[in-house]
Amino acid sequence: MAQAAGRYFDGRTAARHRVDVTLDRAAGVLVFSGESVTEQRWPLARLRALTDHARDYGLTVTLHGESGDESPRDAARLSFSEPGLIAELRALCPDLTRRDVHRGSWGRIGRRAALAVAAIVLMLFVILPRMADTLAGIIPVEREIAFGRSVTAQMERALGGAILGDLRCDATGGRAALDTMLTRLTDGRDLQYEIDVLVFDHPMLNAFAAPGGQVVLMRGLLENASGPDAVAAVLAHEIGHVERRDATRHALRAAGSAGLLSMILGDFTGGTLAVILGERMLQASYTREAEREADLFALDMLGAAGVDSSGMATFFDDLTELENARPSLPVYLNTHPASADRAARARAHAEAQQETIPVLTDAEWQALLTICD
Amino acid sequence: MDAGKIIQGHYQGQKGPLFNLAFTTALLTAVTLGIYRFWAKTRIRNYIWSSTVGEGDTFEYTGTGLEKFLGFLFAIVVLAIYLGIIQMILFYFGLTLLREPTTEAEFLAQAGAFYITVLAVVPLIFFAQYRARRYKLARTRWRGLRFGADKGAWGYVWRAMGHWALTIVTLGLLLPRQTFWLEKYVTDRSWFGDARFEQTGSWTKLYPAMKHLIIGLVVLLGGVAAGAAMGSPAIAGLMGLVGYVWLMIGMVSYRVQSFIYLTGNKLLDGKITFQANTETGVIVSTVLVGGLVVGLLTGLVFAVVGVVASMVLGPLLVGSAGAGLGVGAVLGGVLLAGIYIAALAVAGALALVWITQPIIAHVVQTVTVRNADALDEIHQRAADTGADAEGFADALDVGGAI
Repeated sequence: MAQAAGRYFDGRTAARHRVDVTLDRAAGVLVFSGESVTEQRWPLARLRALTDHARDYGLTVTLHGESGDESPRDAARLSFSEPGLIAELRALCPDLTRRDVHRGSWGRIGRRAALAVAAIVLMLFVILPRMADTLAGIIPVEREIAFGRSVTAQMERALGGAILGDLRCDATGGRAALDTMLTRLTDGRDLQYEIDVLVFDHPMLNAFAAPGGQVVLMRGLLENASGPDAVAAVLAHEIGHVERRDATRHALRAAGSAGLLSMILGDFTGGTLAVILGERMLQASYTREAEREADLFALDMLGAAGVDSSGMATFFDDLTELENARPSLPVYLNTHPASADRAARARAHAEAQQETIPVLTDAEWQALLTICD
Repeated sequence: MDAGKIIQGHYQGQKGPLFNLAFTTALLTAVTLGIYRFWAKTRIRNYIWSSTVGEGDTFEYTGTGLEKFLGFLFAIVVLAIYLGIIQMILFYFGLTLLREPTTEAEFLAQAGAFYITVLAVVPLIFFAQYRARRYKLARTRWRGLRFGADKGAWGYVWRAMGHWALTIVTLGLLLPRQTFWLEKYVTDRSWFGDARFEQTGSWTKLYPAMKHLIIGLVVLLGGVAAGAAMGSPAIAGLMGLVGYVWLMIGMVSYRVQSFIYLTGNKLLDGKITFQANTETGVIVSTVLVGGLVVGLLTGLVFAVVGVVASMVLGPLLVGSAGAGLGVGAVLGGVLLAGIYIAALAVAGALALVWITQPIIAHVVQTVTVRNADALDEIHQRAADTGADAEGFADALDVGGAI
């Protein structure tokens, strides 16, 4: 019969009780008593040891039982360090290291998880987008213009402009060509915003629409475009974004959902990667619809202006090619996924077009290409 | 005065077992996309708490991973709704304040305005801090008795915001006032069994603890100013560096010295007292030596992993390039991500074992409890449900290493 000296805490006071512990195999109980403790009999089946314990030479046990505590455990604790007794207990008690949970815990997890997922989905895909639409609709146009100018300034700084206005290209001939193109597209249309087209001296193949009417084309886009019709298509597409207040809407959505994903995924090893991927996917789901709408707007605008919309198809084809050649190209594609669908839609539109006139003459196009010189 | 029975803190945790625990749980966490982190945290606390010993009796951590997960699910529902709406509204009002930047100052101010949404989180951070501390106490036991803390997170929120505002406005001059009163707020609401803790003393007594903080600042600012006045970038740079290092050590020194003062003036049940002999030098050298060891070993691990990866995975990735949707490429990518995550887990576990644990060990071993006979008379307290079980702290990433 294994025997050991032990320390017993009754879970009622902080007083330590010295006890003698014996194992009664026949009855299947751990029996202990001491000067200040009357005999206690703990059934082996209900015995539980504390796990992940630093003291590997000792064992602290308690009893399994329903309680108001975090775990279904009794508050009393018994510790001993006699190796023989510990070895015997480990052999005799199959449930010694079991992690018991309160009855109904799994149901609670299921309900809470469902509630959490529902709340997040509702926020990300219903409430925040609706709120962003509403707020983007009520913001006064002059505020939006101011916001847009601020965004453009931040963007210019981010792209490496040392002082404000540093990157802006303004060669006279190019400027005139750009104005011609803009007039051709917008003439006779009733636009909410006054469109202001800028060219940034940057090799990136990109363009963006800031809130309030500013459209920025990068030098890289002009140089890689197949011709003036392609640039006109991009410009019309960006004007579509401006008219639909997409940039403002997206900024508001992004502000609302900022940090939600990193909050959910937490700061664990490898978590940053998951957050970045998740945010990409969220962003993509937001933009897909906006891109489609802007494309339709652009095709309509090109059609009305009599500009050949096959320029748009060519532009998308070129992008797809670039994407295939260099899979990690960080360009237009990231925010404007180029797809065969979009090219096909433009091509179908082009085929239905009657007579078209090039948006710029060759001389004007050459001037536009050298706007940054 | 007779100090009665004295209990000296003792720490028995070791590097090997804790490293294994931290490494294994980090891998499990990555594999489960972060869900296991609640259990990982629980198991590591089990180890550290049970390493802390007073008079042969170990501390016990009774928190569970399950309740942390449930608390987290609750917290994200609240936070998703609150933060989503408040952040967007704040951003909207931020927008209406913008104008086209014409000067450099305006430009910077507006760049700052984009971060206005951070304001929404500040009160929640203090809320989460208090709640997390209350949860930790409620799940700590010694000699079978629960520790605990009263509810009072919102009271802490507005006090903390007020004290921080004062400290910032006075350029740090009222830092001791903040340290003392916030510590007093939480201490006076803390319990061991049915015995209450109490913070005595006065905030002005914390000024001596700021000594090295102030010297560092004077050297940094004075040195740079003097160097600039003499037109010598070398002097300015050197003094700047010396001042900066001094300031960093001064921060550690302030925390240690104020900990010593505040511990020495804590009272349990009106008669049990405490003393801390924690040393700034030990903490600083632990961080330096530990940081060096962790840096070197992590570098080594990443180097070995890199070589193995390029030898084994390189051919796998290249070989499959021609075969279209190569299974090899997918497999190689997954393996690479796995190896990368394993290396990160090693780094995290090393930092815990070489920096965090030695600091905890030093602090525990330099604390003594006096008049400890009175402990025997203390009775059990009722269980605390723990509310969100740190869910807010987890979601908002507050709470530090352990």
